[in-house]
Parts: sequence; structure tokens; C-alpha cells
Amino acid sequence: MKLPHGRLDKSRVVTDPRDTLADVLDRELTGYAVFESQETLLLDGEGRGVMTFTDGVPVLVYHTGTDRGGPPALADLAVPGPYHVSLYTLDAADLESAHEAADLRVPPGMPAERLGGDPALADSTRRAAPDERLSAMGDGDATAPDDGTADQSAVEAFLDDAEKIEAIKQQARSEARERAQEWDF
Amino acid sequence: MVEVFAVASGKGGTGKTTSTVALGMALSDRYDVTVVDADTGMANLLFHAGLSDAETTLHDVLADEAPVEAATYDRFGLTVVPCGTSLDGFRDADPDRLRDVVAALAEDTDIILLDSPPALDSRTSVLPIVLADRIVVVLQPTIPAISDGLKVQEYATTYDTDVAGLLFNKVRESESIEQVSEKTERYFDGPTLAAVPESERAREARRAGRPLLAHAPECEAATAYRAAAESLTVRDGAAADAADRFQSAVIPESL
Repeated sequence: MKLPHGRLDKSRVVTDPRDTLADVLDRELTGYAVFESQETLLLDGEGRGVMTFTDGVPVLVYHTGTDRGGPPALADLAVPGPYHVSLYTLDAADLESAHEAADLRVPPGMPAERLGGDPALADSTRRAAPDERLSAMGDGDATAPDDGTADQSAVEAFLDDAEKIEAIKQQARSEARERAQEWDF
Repeated sequence: MVEVFAVASGKGGTGKTTSTVALGMALSDRYDVTVVDADTGMANLLFHAGLSDAETTLHDVLADEAPVEAATYDRFGLTVVPCGTSLDGFRDADPDRLRDVVAALAEDTDIILLDSPPALDSRTSVLPIVLADRIVVVLQPTIPAISDGLKVQEYATTYDTDVAGLLFNKVRESESIEQVSEKTERYFDGPTLAAVPESERAREARRAGRPLLAHAPECEAATAYRAAAESLTVRDGAAADAADRFQSAVIPESL
């Protein structure tokens, strides 16, 4: 995915990507966000996730580590936080050519639903989305872009990544063992 | 016989309390069930069970200001131990007394359900999972909920607590739940007990301060909870040493 350089708007560490999505929607940001997991133990932690927005509504998602776009890239992004998130603003015109990449598109509500785990935020995002984006992609739930190359939902793509899930489990186990001593159970 | 289940989820908002009460009511057809609000920092069981006026709660018991019997209430065929919502109550409560509470309750019931905090970030939030024999993991079919559910399972099994099963909650029609639950089961040590549809009835019940199974017993969500309870095989615990068991519930020595 090629994007023009935007103007840095905010750069911070968040524990939950939902907060970033809510903030971007509130401020109707046009531009992009770069998500970088702080968890370097996980394989996909090496890559960065990029999500573009028009007026606060997500348009494209791409993951640099796996080179996947659209709903599967949301699954790649779903590693345990915290994330370092940088938000950049752009003029809508600068995003036009990037936004032609149909294979990187996600339904408007899907990031809030699948990454943020917040159906209410997904609903608000869909309400803020222009009609043509909703009609082009159904109501924005589990459906993938129209070309059918990625009709697997982001959740299923996540569940198909056995290696990543094993890494999440291993990390939790080692955390649990460390904390057992700290908490003096 | 007693078996203690922690009803747990890594994330808030999955409908854990609604699920705890609904499972409890469904199980109460066959068993004597006690439901405890072990989410002592963000209690809300009392609002689900019509106990918002309860004078004595788990907070008082954990502060050593009341015996556990004073904080038990018979509601909807269940024995309910609600927790208070005040910050002072939380501050004065000694979470370690939860062991004694569970041990005391275990002497006189078949099943204890612990409504557990939706977090793993403190000793208090993890203790119910440590005390339980098994956990029921409440999930939504979303990446963060499943990923947090996996963490809950790994904490539980590290602390020698088994997994009884998964409960998918607030499932929307558009979500291909069969595929998702089948794939999810590959990574969990327990089966899917049920997939409970998102339900306007559940919201109404919560607003009315009544359990879902009392408010709309015939609705689809209530039916799913009964199916979950049906597929939960309760293990015979050793009644005689129940008290000992919970008083000495500790992390396995292999750690």
C-alpha cells in the first residue's frame, strides 16, 4: 500500500485499539493510523498495521508484516496490546488513488467490531459511513470485499493462524507463572 | 457434592453476569445452586437479581463485619450472595477471605457459580479462577473477546483449574457462529456449551432487575442457556473435604 506522507496528529501508546477507533470517529479524521504492537515476542508483532480513514470511517487495512490487506489484515493486527499508535492527517484528495485498492478495503464497521470488540461503536461507525460504502459491502458485518477473494471473516482468519494463537497462549502462561509468585498465591 | 465454577471472560461487556444468573437458574432444576458476585470492584449481580436494596453483602463479609449467612438471599430458586457497589466497601474488603466464603458455602450446596471480574491484572481479579474447580469462558465471536478468553484459559490451567466449556454470547445472525465456534474449540480445553443470540429480552430483563430466565423464559436466549446447562456435566466433588479444598486452594507446586 502506497500512501503519501501525512501530518503527524498524535502519537501515543494505547492498550485497546477501540480507543483509537473511537477517537478517530469522534474527530472525523481523514488520514491514516499506524499500529505497532509493543509485543515483540509475537511473530506478527514485527509488522505494522496501517488503517486509512475518511471522515473518521475506516476504509483500508494493510499489514506490513504479513503483506495482507482487508479483513485478514485485521486478524494480523489482533495481537495483545499495548500498541503504539500514530495518527496522521491527509487531505481527502491525497487518499483517492490509494482508496482504489479494492482488495485492501474493509466494511466500515468491521474494525470496531472485530478489532475493538465493540458492536455499539461499529454501529456508530456505520451510521457515519456514506451510503455507497454500506450498499457496496452489505451491512458491514462479516462480509468481505465484493471481489470474493477474502470472503473469510476476520475472526476466522484469526482462528486459522494457529501459530499466533499458540504464541498468545504461551505468553499468557508465562505471565500467569510470573504473577503467581508476585501475587503470592 | 460441590463443584465450583468461575464464570469468566477476559473482557467486559460479554454479558457475564446475565450468563452466570441464567446458567444458575437453568442448573437449579437439577441442583442446589449458589451464585456469588466475585467481581468485588464492579459488582452488578445485585441489579440482575432484584437485590439492589440488599443491606448486607459480600463486601461486609470480606470486611469481617458479617457472617456469610447474613449476605445470602434466596431469589428465583437460587442462593444469591450479592456484592455491594461502594468504593469504601471495596477498599475495606479483604479479597483473601473469599476462600473462607467459598469454603463455608460449599458445605451446603451442589454448585457454586462465581461471577468473576473481567480482567487478569490483579490478584483480586484472578483469585476466583484460582479457587474454582473449572471455568466457563464467556465469549463473543470477536477477535478481542476470543483472544482474551484464551488468556483466561491459560491462567486457569496454569493454576490447575480446568475448563468446563465455552459460552458464546450476544451472537448476531450475521456472524457465522458454527464455523467460528468449531475453529475456536480447537484452542480451548472445553466444548462450546451454547451460542446465545443477542437478545432484546436480555436488555429488558436487566432494566427490570430480573434474571432473563424469569423475565422471558421462553425466548431464544433463555432456551440457549438451558441447553448450555444441560450439556454441563457436573462432577462429584468430595463433599467431606470441600472446606479443606478451598481453604488450601493454592497454585500447584510445580510452579
